[in-house]
Amino acid sequence: RRQTGAALNSDNRPSGAVATTSRKALAGLRRIDLDGLRWRVFDAKGQVLGRLASQISTVLQGKDKPTYTPNRDDGDMCVVLNAKDIGITGRKLTDKYYRWHTGYVGHLKERSLKDQMSKDPTEVIRKAVLRMLPRNKLRDDRDRKLRIFTSDEHPFGDKPLEPYIMPPRQVREMRPRARRALIRAQKKAEQQGVTTTKNGKKEEEKVELSA
Amino acid sequence: TSFRGAHSRLTQTIAQQKIRALVSARRDRDRQKRDFRRLWITRINTVIRKKGVYYNYSKFIHELYKRQLLLNHKILAQIAILNRNFIYMIYNENIKNEDSKE
Repeated sequence: RRQTGAALNSDNRPSGAVATTSRKALAGLRRIDLDGLRWRVFDAKGQVLGRLASQISTVLQGKDKPTYTPNRDDGDMCVVLNAKDIGITGRKLTDKYYRWHTGYVGHLKERSLKDQMSKDPTEVIRKAVLRMLPRNKLRDDRDRKLRIFTSDEHPFGDKPLEPYIMPPRQVREMRPRARRALIRAQKKAEQQGVTTTKNGKKEEEKVELSA
Repeated sequence: TSFRGAHSRLTQTIAQQKIRALVSARRDRDRQKRDFRRLWITRINTVIRKKGVYYNYSKFIHELYKRQLLLNHKILAQIAILNRNFIYMIYNENIKNEDSKE
């Protein structure tokens, strides 16, 4: 039996619990040649899903370089961290459904965002980005350049990583009903003390006022 | 040549393929002008967007037209790739003159 103490197999591949995620992460790296591309790191903590996905897709297509060529894939490697801390506005956690049809009659399957997040939070971001890329022959290659991780750890520590700073955004101020609800919740929290812990304020309920 | 299979061996098909080749060459010569302009516009857009939020190709070109700077897109795109600073110099000139004019 192999008795390696470190979390690396004999031929320097990671083993153990880190293995499955990082093996998938390191998997297609051999197909991507041209290491003249940069490694950009996106931190998804607190970012709104769609806005982050749109920035990722521009970087992935290589549209932030002046040498952009439409017939050649020149995008940077994108590493997304903290996928489980992505922000969703509105009622999308319960109301947004991912639907797909298996091909058999009557078998339209659906899964809500909440279930998807509990199953595999990386799929949420991956679907969002993939559906923003142009549907052409380069789409699969671009997908291979995108690596998403649920938490902060990633096996790409030795590469030259550059953090991506999101452009400043004009956050819309809250609708009056939502703001009143927020104030009420804050007052209640103050009264009850520190017992109620809201984790990170992911769900800002910007409820749309129906006209 | 890249006329595959029967397209390079059989006389009648050769004649037909030659006609198609010439037609697409003519069509694409006109398309080429469009395609390259598209590419230049995308490239200029990429570089210009770095200059600030809500600043993009359309505003930049509008400024250039106002100043009556007749640089064409091909040259602007080449400047954008090779000497990025020069585009920024043009941009700064625009900003400076705008402030002095107003």
